[in-house]
Amino acid sequence: MVPDRIESEVLIEAPVDVVWSIVTEAEHVGKWFSDSAEIELEPGGKAVLNWDEYGTRLGRVERVEPPRFISFRWARPAGAEPTEGNSTLVEFTLSAEGEGTRLQVVESGFRELDGTDEEKAEYAEGNTRGWAKELGELREYVSEHVGAPARR
Amino acid sequence: MRRRGGEEDELWAAVADPTRRKLLDVLLARGEATATVLATELPVTRQAVSKHLAVLDRAGLVERRQRGREVRYAVRPERLDAAAESMARVAAEWDQRLAAIKRLAESVTAEADGSLGLRPSTTSR
Repeated sequence: MVPDRIESEVLIEAPVDVVWSIVTEAEHVGKWFSDSAEIELEPGGKAVLNWDEYGTRLGRVERVEPPRFISFRWARPAGAEPTEGNSTLVEFTLSAEGEGTRLQVVESGFRELDGTDEEKAEYAEGNTRGWAKELGELREYVSEHVGAPARR
Repeated sequence: MRRRGGEEDELWAAVADPTRRKLLDVLLARGEATATVLATELPVTRQAVSKHLAVLDRAGLVERRQRGREVRYAVRPERLDAAAESMARVAAEWDQRLAAIKRLAESVTAEADGSLGLRPSTTSR
């Protein structure tokens, strides 16, 4: 597959149930993600993420398996309904670890707008590296050749 | 949260490919080069080089310079920098969101009475 994913994870000192509520309930999503949110927690359910400063982005819930997994698509253009061509997929996975919870997030599909079929075939030829690695390489690369990415 | 525009998507896609990064590398080292010269330095055909250059050109990462009958390419470093920053930003946004989830969940757990209004969740499935 194409290298088009961002992965991140965190270990949380709270039970899976609690983390699930924080991740999925609109009241909480409006604290950690957007400024306010509406979520229909079922496959095909609508998600509305509002930012005071940036406007509204619409999402669609794809899969819900309480309290372990939820995925949704969200559209890039503000106010647009998510479609295959304009959205990325976000997947949250929760797993119990000791008394706590490991929470992993993957956002993928950044590449969907890109390029010709030929190009996609080229990518598909064994380019399986994760986005984080790509990103790390790229940052290293840029700082070596161009100067640090974080400009003064 | 910042919105990603179509232009930014194009930047991302352009620099995500290892061959294109290698192309940029060679161009940075040489200052400028023709597609033919670039093809001698990379394990791909001249035709493939031209396709990759077209992607980089569309994303604004290289500029074309007409030198007599030749077209030479050169990197626009400010655009490369912008691409790296935009990718780093999206990754950093998720790190921040996860950190916020962690804070919320741990503060709720610390308050044994669940006064933030958390209901017992649908666990047993």
